[in-house]
Amino acid sequence: MALPNPALSQLPDNYKYGWHDAEAKSLNIAKKGLSAEVVAEISRFKGEPEWMTKLRLKAYRHFEARPMPTWGANLAPIDFQDIYYYIAPTDKAVQSWDDVPDYIRRTYDKLGIPEAEKKYLAGVGGQYDSEVVYHNIRADLEKLGVIFMGTDQALKDHPEMFREYYGTVIPPNDNKLAALNTAVWSGGSFIYVPPGVHVELPLQAYFRINTENMGQFERTLIIADEGSSVHYVEGCTAPTYSTASLHSAVVEIIVKKGARVRYTTIQNWSHNVYNLVTKRAVAYEDAVMEWVDGNLGSRVTMKYPSIYLLGERAHGEVLSIAFAGSGQHQDAGGKVIHAAPNTTSLITSKSISQGTGRTSYRGLIKVYPGCKKARSTVRCDALILSDEARSDTYPYMEIDEEDVTIGHEATVSKVGSEQLFYLMSRGMTESEAAAMIVNGFIEPIVKELPMEYAVEMNRLIQLQMEGAVG
Amino acid sequence: MATVTVQTLQPATIAWPAIERYSLRHDEPAWLRELRRAWWERSEKTPFPTGLEEEWRRTSLQELPRDGELLDEAEFRPVLPDPRLADRGVIFSDLGTAAREHPDLVRRYLGQGEPVDSHAAFWALSQAAWTGGTFLYVPRGLEVDGTLIARITQPRSDVTFLPHTLVVAEEGSCVTFLEELVSPDGAPGWFGGTVAIHALQGSRVRYANLQRLGDAVWNVGAQRVQVGQDANVTALNTEVGSRVSKLGLDVRMDGKGGTSLLLGLLAAGDDQHIDINSLQDLSADHTTSDLLYVSALYDRARAAFYGVTRVQETARGTSSYQECRNLLLSPNAGAEPIPVLEIKTNDLLRCGHGATAGAIDPVQLFYAQTRGLDPEEAERMIVRGFFEQVIARIPVEPVRSAMLAALADRIGHVEGFDETGAAA
Repeated sequence: MALPNPALSQLPDNYKYGWHDAEAKSLNIAKKGLSAEVVAEISRFKGEPEWMTKLRLKAYRHFEARPMPTWGANLAPIDFQDIYYYIAPTDKAVQSWDDVPDYIRRTYDKLGIPEAEKKYLAGVGGQYDSEVVYHNIRADLEKLGVIFMGTDQALKDHPEMFREYYGTVIPPNDNKLAALNTAVWSGGSFIYVPPGVHVELPLQAYFRINTENMGQFERTLIIADEGSSVHYVEGCTAPTYSTASLHSAVVEIIVKKGARVRYTTIQNWSHNVYNLVTKRAVAYEDAVMEWVDGNLGSRVTMKYPSIYLLGERAHGEVLSIAFAGSGQHQDAGGKVIHAAPNTTSLITSKSISQGTGRTSYRGLIKVYPGCKKARSTVRCDALILSDEARSDTYPYMEIDEEDVTIGHEATVSKVGSEQLFYLMSRGMTESEAAAMIVNGFIEPIVKELPMEYAVEMNRLIQLQMEGAVG
Repeated sequence: MATVTVQTLQPATIAWPAIERYSLRHDEPAWLRELRRAWWERSEKTPFPTGLEEEWRRTSLQELPRDGELLDEAEFRPVLPDPRLADRGVIFSDLGTAAREHPDLVRRYLGQGEPVDSHAAFWALSQAAWTGGTFLYVPRGLEVDGTLIARITQPRSDVTFLPHTLVVAEEGSCVTFLEELVSPDGAPGWFGGTVAIHALQGSRVRYANLQRLGDAVWNVGAQRVQVGQDANVTALNTEVGSRVSKLGLDVRMDGKGGTSLLLGLLAAGDDQHIDINSLQDLSADHTTSDLLYVSALYDRARAAFYGVTRVQETARGTSSYQECRNLLLSPNAGAEPIPVLEIKTNDLLRCGHGATAGAIDPVQLFYAQTRGLDPEEAERMIVRGFFEQVIARIPVEPVRSAMLAALADRIGHVEGFDETGAAA
């Protein structure tokens, strides 16, 4: 079958696309829709090894065969044939600042975000001034033997390691959207931390200075070798403008014996985005895996960070915050699978729905037979700020071992009029008082965020609350 | 494949001719036959669960024994605390008799109201093909002292028995009703009992269902409770017997100020499988609905619970809680407690749920042993105490002792406690 864009087939195999290469722009796949040819072109365009091309095509066949999930949020409006599946980085940089919606620009102003950063966040600026910072961080990491680079680059630079781990935590046929990601993935981060190395500073995709990290189908792979530790931060609290209506990332994490990984995400996509993400970690003996997951933006998010506790005494935590304003549905949560004795887990979820927004907590605790002394606590609290908002809690539990302690508790509440009255009697306006109550509600999770994120989160809540009550 | 499941689920022996024969043989009035016919037609249009529905993922119906003949008659033994109740207008009999003797009253309530959501096909089938069950009517303003007891005993288990129980508590009335379902061990059969409770304005109803079916019986039943304005209903299910129990419970809180309390006592061992689907639907202002289900699971027993609390946009100032506790007493026992909240308004007084699963706390076990109990006695005592949190919520003597006696078959007797033998 002929390729839709004949120019693509003429690309040299070693072609490396650049940011500002005007010619590269004309070589992008400019066609909407998905087919085996498009998948093959993406792989060829990137100059990938044959095994990756084959894997992409296999995943594509799986994506085609599998039905859309019927549970959770309403995904019916997604038209898979009306989506661009590959946009080269150069393309993103040419969008106009004028195309960025007003509400996002206003939020930037109110958050006091510098001009250059605004454009970066909005996806209209390619370069960002912190390049120097980034290079210094990278030099330090290299001394320690830490690998931190774009996933595409890692496939080229570390092919053996890449192939050893890629797709082992989330196989191509795991679910329809993971299959889609495996077929068309681009961008994301690759991290390898050698045995015993502790990375002191959080690694942030933010510093990686390429627009890919905000990618539509990003693929992240993190391997923490024995006894190491790392904290990875993805996304940012400020709104991120995206023209693409579907975002479907896959994140795989391998936490080896005695290692520790924390993965922090703050997702604040613009309100046109369907954000359907598969995130999963495996934790071996004595390992600790923590997901800190914030969902503020997007039209619909379906995301349930998972942890498979495969070794004795492994510990998993999921801290989840969701904020749904009018028209938004945050269907988020966490899953922990206890597959070894003496494993422990904690899921804490705080969700807030406002206007006509809807938050859903959806989670799973599974304990396999023989996992003695497994302990798990799930705590979900929901705050509903308007009488048109909605909150759901779907906490699944499958317990097949006797010698365990498993507990789940949930509450749903509103902002009490007495609480508001008290704060207003101390001189606050109603929206300030409501914001303070909401900030107090999410404090257990916000305190786990890096400082700049926590500050920005609190300010965002304040902005969201303006006019929310009353 | 899902399509195969649908086909094989259709009951092999229940068809309209069999139902019609039953109706004619028992001299049923024409309106009742028409009502059965209407529900039969509805049942033909209502798809059976495929196993893909959320409520049906944990119980497969592939092995449902659906070849048994429709049971013609079960022994119905009513016990009234006071024989003069009939003179005061209480009607307490088997449903067939009531339909003949009090047609206007039965007709007003029988077959009214929508099926239990999760068990719609089974509800429709029971409405069409019931061949037993209880009718209880309490007139306006009458407060019945004591407990009415009905024991329904199947002569054999290898049949299909879909009894329907209808309880009507008129305005301001008050009643406690214990219904006991018994069938012999050994033979597989299908029990599909349905219960409809209409608690009218300001009434108070306590309903206790004691399920002691045979150990090879499949119990696929449903209960629907309609709680009127300012009415108060407590509904207790004690599940002791059967091989498989798959219950659907719908509580409709559509009268302002109504209150409901759903209680469950589940004691299961061997290969028993219990799966409960509850729906607490709060659509009226200032309604309160609480649920507490506790299960003690021995051997290879498994208890699944998928319960939904739904607070509608229209309901202001509601209060609800859902709690499911599982005690795992064997390494091979399993539990799947899933308490779901779907909350569509923020005008809430209280809303929450809790679920637990785990073994007996070793500290409790150790403490009991330091007081001189051997480990088995200590375990029995702790399980007994675990059930007490539910039993204490129905402080009515015949109900309490009947439940304890039935539970003792599974958990054993505890010296110094208060079992006094089966009811009646």
